Amino acid sequence: MEYGLKALGREKFWLWILLAPTLIGLLFGTAGSLLATSTLSLFKWDLIGAPAWNGIQNYIDAFTKPEFLLALKNTLVFSALYVPGTVVASLLAALLLNRKIRGVGIFRTLFFLPSITSAVAVSLIFSWLYAKDNGLLNTIITQFGGQAVNWLGTKNVMMSVVIANVWGAVGEGMVIFLAGLQAVPREYYEAATVDGGSGWARFWHITLPMISPSIFFQTLLATINAFQAFEYIYMLTRQGNGNSSVPVVVFSIYRNGWRFFSMGLASAQAMILAAFIVVLMLIYFQLEKRWVVYE
Amino acid sequence: MKKSIFVVLVAILLLTACGPKASSGPTEVKVMMWGAPEELAVWQSVADAFTAKNPSIKVTMDVADWDSYWDKLNTLYAANTPPDLFAMDAPLFQDWFSRGALKNLQPYIDKSTSLLDGLYPVTLQAYQTPDGYFGVPRDAQTIVLFYNKDMFDATGLAYPDDTWTLDKLREVAKQLTLKDASGNTTQWGFSADLWDMELFWSEAIWEYGGDVISADHTQTLLTEGKARDAWHFIYSMMVTDKSMPNPDESGQFGGDPFDAGVAAMTTMGHWSVPQYSTRGFKYDVAPFPSGPAGRVTSVNSAGFVIPAGAANPEQAWEFIKYVLSTDGQIQTVKLGLAVPAVKSVAESDAYLVQPDFPINQKVFTDAFAYAHMKPVFKGYDAWASAVGDPLIAVWKGEADLDTTLDQIKIAADAILAENK
Repeated sequence: MEYGLKALGREKFWLWILLAPTLIGLLFGTAGSLLATSTLSLFKWDLIGAPAWNGIQNYIDAFTKPEFLLALKNTLVFSALYVPGTVVASLLAALLLNRKIRGVGIFRTLFFLPSITSAVAVSLIFSWLYAKDNGLLNTIITQFGGQAVNWLGTKNVMMSVVIANVWGAVGEGMVIFLAGLQAVPREYYEAATVDGGSGWARFWHITLPMISPSIFFQTLLATINAFQAFEYIYMLTRQGNGNSSVPVVVFSIYRNGWRFFSMGLASAQAMILAAFIVVLMLIYFQLEKRWVVYE
Repeated sequence: MKKSIFVVLVAILLLTACGPKASSGPTEVKVMMWGAPEELAVWQSVADAFTAKNPSIKVTMDVADWDSYWDKLNTLYAANTPPDLFAMDAPLFQDWFSRGALKNLQPYIDKSTSLLDGLYPVTLQAYQTPDGYFGVPRDAQTIVLFYNKDMFDATGLAYPDDTWTLDKLREVAKQLTLKDASGNTTQWGFSADLWDMELFWSEAIWEYGGDVISADHTQTLLTEGKARDAWHFIYSMMVTDKSMPNPDESGQFGGDPFDAGVAAMTTMGHWSVPQYSTRGFKYDVAPFPSGPAGRVTSVNSAGFVIPAGAANPEQAWEFIKYVLSTDGQIQTVKLGLAVPAVKSVAESDAYLVQPDFPINQKVFTDAFAYAHMKPVFKGYDAWASAVGDPLIAVWKGEADLDTTLDQIKIAADAILAENK
C-alpha cells in the first residue's frame, strides 16, 4: 500500500536538495562512524601511533575482562528495570493527561520539561535529593521518624538511578502515547458505553489494543535509550578520578577509549553493545507480529 | 546518551582535519593545559609578557578542565594536528613518551646551558629517559597536612607540628570527630582521597617501610609485607574509628570534606590553597606526619612537553625557557596553585610571602628533602583504576581488605604486563 503524494519532475530535484542535509549527516555521521568503529574494533589503536591489526583479540579481551562483564551486567539489569518502568510510567502520565481537565496544557508541559533540561543539571539535583545526610528525601523520612536511607549506596543505587532515568524519560514517552490515545476513534468508546462496558473493560479491550503500535514503538525507543544510557548514571554514581559505582557499557567504552589508550578495545565493546540492541530489535519485531494491532 | 560517542568522535576528526593552517605574520605557538578559568587569565599574562620580549612569536593559550583536556588532546593526536606545547602530569608521561608522541628536548637543553641547574632534581626525574629529557617540569606539588584552625581552637587541641606521627594523627582525628544527638557524624577528624595514591596511601606505605611498585615497574608491591600494615592503619581510621568519611560520605560534600568545612584535617597539595582560602575558615599547613620507618611525602610535578609532530617546536621551546626563567616563575607563583620548580624562586619571598595566602609556605618547600617522586610508568590510569576501584567497597565496609588487596595484586600486575 502506498500513501501520500508522489514527487513529480522538478519536485524530485527539490526533494533531494531538501533531504540532503539529513542524508549527508546520516552518511558521514552514522554510517561513517559505524564503519570506523567496526574497522577499529579489529585493530589495536592508542590514538597516537598507527593502528595495528589485532584480529578478534579485542572481542576476546572484552569478554574475558571482569570490568566489561560487570558493565554488561549493569547495562542489562538497568535496561530490564528501565524499559518497563518508562513504558508504564509514561503510559500512566498520558492516560492522566488525556482528559478534559483544567490546565492540562500546563501539566503536559511540566511532564515534558525533563526531556529538554540539561541532564547534568538534573542529575546534580537528583544527587542532592538522594544525599544520605543532607538530602531532601532523607530529611522528609527522618522528620517522620524513619531511618535515613543510603539511596546511592551499594544496595539501592541501581533503583535510584533507574528512578531518575525514568523520571527524565516520562515526557517523551507521554507525547508518543498521547498521540496514540487521541487517534483512538471516539465511536469505539461510545459503542462500548452503550453496551455497558466498564472503565477497566474499555481500557483493556479498546485502549490497549488500539495503542499497541505506540507501546511497541515506545518499548523500542526505551530499549535503545537504556543501552546507551550514560549521563544520569555517570553523574549520580561518579566517584572521583573518573570512576563510577555503577559502570555501564557506554562508560566502559569511554574509559577504555579515552583514558586507557585502548580505542580498539573500546570499539569492540561498542560493537558488542550494538549487537545486543540488534538482537533485541529482531526479537521485538517477531513479537510485534503477534501482539501489535494495526487498524 | 542520545547519540553514540563515536558520532561525536568522527565529527571532531573531520572538523579538525580541515582546520586552516597559520598564515604569515608572527609564528603562532599553540599551548594547551588543564586548569580553571582563573588560570587562563594568569597564563595569558605570562604569554603576553613573553610576546612583549619575543614579538615574532604569538602564544595562544587553550585551558580546559582535566577531563576535557585529555579527551581533546587525544583527539588532536588522532587527527595528527597536535598543539606545539602541552602540559603533562608526570605520572602520565610514560604513556605518551613510550608511544613516540613526544619530542626529545635534550638537543634544546644542551643549547640552553644551565637552564635546568636551578630546578629541584626530584621534579626532573619523571621526564628522564635513556635518550635525555623529553619534558621539563613547570611547577611542583608536595603533599602536606592541612588543618582547620577553627576546629582545633574549638576543642582546645594543639595544632599539628613536625613531631606528629601517623598514630598521633589517628588519635587526634578521633578526638575531632563529632556526632549529633542521633549519632550522625557532623564533623570528621581527618579526610583524604584514597582512590589515587598521591594524597595519602603512597605516603603511608613508604612511611611504614613498604613500596608501591618495583623500580622496573613490573611488580605491584603495594599489597605486600609492610605496605599491608599501612592499609590496615588506614582501614582502622576509616572503618574502625570512622574518623574519616568514606567515599559515599565525602561524595555528599563534593568529594572534599575539608573544603566543605566538615573535616578538621586533610593531606593535600598546593593546588587547593586558592580554593580553601575563599571558604571562610582559618587553616594552616604542617609536615606530613611521620611513620614507623620515618617521614616520607609524595612529590609530583606538572611539566611541559612538545609533541613529536609539533609545527613550531623551536618557538615552543623559547616559551618553555621563559616559563622557567625567574620572571616567568614569579608570574606563575601568583596563581598560588603550586610550588615553583625553580629552587631560587621557591626559596625567595616571591613564593614564601604570599599576602593572599598567609600560610606556612615553607612547609611545602621543606618537604622536598624527604619526598619520594610519585611513580611514573606506562599504563598509569588503567593500573590506578585497578587499585582504586575495588578499594571503594572496602572503605564502605562492604568488602574484606585483605581479600581485596590479594585480588588487586593480580589485576594490577596483569596491567603492568600488558604495558611492558
